[in-house]
Amino acid sequence: MSIAAQIDDLSFAHLGTDLPALDRVSLFVPAGESVALLGPSGAGKTTLLALLDGRLQGWAGRVSVLGAPLDPDHPPPRARRPDTGFVFQEFALVERSTVLRNVLNGRLGRMSPLRALLGSPTAHDLGIARTALADCGIADLAERRVDSLSGGQRQRVAIARCLAQEPRLILADEPVSNLDPARAGEILALLTAAARARGATAMFSSHQPDLARRFAQRIIGIRGGRIVFDVPTSELNEDATADLYRDPKPMPGIGLRAVS
Amino acid sequence: MRLREFGGFAASALIAGAVLWSFVTTDVELSRLMSAGPRIAGFLGRMFPPDPTVMAEIMKGSAETLRIAILGSLGATVLSIPLGILASETMVSRAVFRPIRMLLAFIRAIPLILVAMLMVGAVGLGPLPGIIAIAFHATGMLAKFYAEAIDGVSRAPIAALESAGAGPLVRLRHAIWPQMAPVVARDTIFRFELNLRESLILGIVGAGGIGFYIQTYVRSFQYDKAASVTIAVVLMVIAIEGINVALRRRFA
Ligand SMILES: Nc1ncnc2c1ncn2[C@@H]1O[C@H](COP(=O)(O)OP(=O)(O)O)[C@@H](O)[C@H]1O
Ligand SMILES: [Mg+2]
Repeated sequence: MSIAAQIDDLSFAHLGTDLPALDRVSLFVPAGESVALLGPSGAGKTTLLALLDGRLQGWAGRVSVLGAPLDPDHPPPRARRPDTGFVFQEFALVERSTVLRNVLNGRLGRMSPLRALLGSPTAHDLGIARTALADCGIADLAERRVDSLSGGQRQRVAIARCLAQEPRLILADEPVSNLDPARAGEILALLTAAARARGATAMFSSHQPDLARRFAQRIIGIRGGRIVFDVPTSELNEDATADLYRDPKPMPGIGLRAVS
Repeated sequence: MRLREFGGFAASALIAGAVLWSFVTTDVELSRLMSAGPRIAGFLGRMFPPDPTVMAEIMKGSAETLRIAILGSLGATVLSIPLGILASETMVSRAVFRPIRMLLAFIRAIPLILVAMLMVGAVGLGPLPGIIAIAFHATGMLAKFYAEAIDGVSRAPIAALESAGAGPLVRLRHAIWPQMAPVVARDTIFRFELNLRESLILGIVGAGGIGFYIQTYVRSFQYDKAASVTIAVVLMVIAIEGINVALRRRFA
């Protein structure tokens, strides 16, 4: 069994902050699994996913992704970056480019440098981009400019770009937080199905327990930068979920107003 | 309070002193000042009626001015692309963009007419020194504009392409360029308009274009011909302004 991600005793604080965004996190994700990161806003979900994408440096602990260790001081070599695909919470699309161009942007790390610079995809690249568009249900939007699309359509473009990258590990940051419940279900269904069809591992973050339960095989609860629980979906405990979202503990220095 | 009063007094004295000094050291004598009005009126009188026979010279000079502005703008654009990249904090480190920005500020500080005179000395009379001068002078502004356009785009797509394995130039091409293209088009047209306007006078120092005829006719006391050329220049400036307004409307 190959390993998609392994994290041992990892701590990380963002530049200019004292409180760690991730606090002694350990995690093991076998290849092919679909995992939900569940937790309130500010829990550290984005930070954990960005770490696995190789975008953070300066952490303590050990991390390896798809069998290769990450270096805490340097970003991973460019050749390895397409192997992890990231679906950004705010989509991060090029608004003035067409849908197809945006999806082909996912191929840039797989093309020869000259082709990438000239933006001249091979028939193979185009085929993969078209398949990704079809899988996301937006084949008919290929020539539309992204700034003319709705939020749900943009989310599909963001996922299609990620799929075009042919990642072995898909990291999706709150891919449905901007959508209504019906759309949210559709998007998570296509994301997890596309990952499964490609034999890729999928990790997505969410703050909605019901969606996590419907689309993940395993759910990791995270709060205050720590992993609170890590269970197969069938064993998810209502109390533990509720606990994840309870009000923060009163801390020294907070609540002084009530005294006066 | 005392100190503030003294400061105000010192500033007034300084300004008064500077004005007096200026009168003393130039030949602005009262008598000349008095006669300047009638003399200017006389000069204007000799400009009328403008001599329309210089139409051929006007056309030739305008065409040359236009060519200087086009080639000068092309040169400035070609120079500004690499310099703009090297002056942007998105693309390069502080150690690179700081000195490049200082260089651009230095270029902007040199008046165009001075560059043109130096270039006439270097390469001789004609449109070539004008083209070089415009390209050099305009680069100081255009490269700064391009750098600002690069730094003004949304960062998220750049990070997304980096995450997908794209290198810096590929990110510039596919994440930054599509976002900055309209700004670059607007800034380049704006600079072209300035170049056209400024190249109208380059001929006065021998750097080609319609300005050459103004200088020639004034020196040879053919004020009626100088008047025609001047009117042509004013009309061209108004036309450029009109085109600019129309373009602004399109880009808005
Ligand atoms: N760029 C940053 N600089 C400083 N602090 C940050 C930054 N990004 C996130 N944080 C902090 O790190 C913690 C975790 O944030 P994040 O990973 O975005 O949480 P989540 O995605 O679960 O909402 C929060 O306390 C947040 O304020
Ligand atoms: Mg987040």
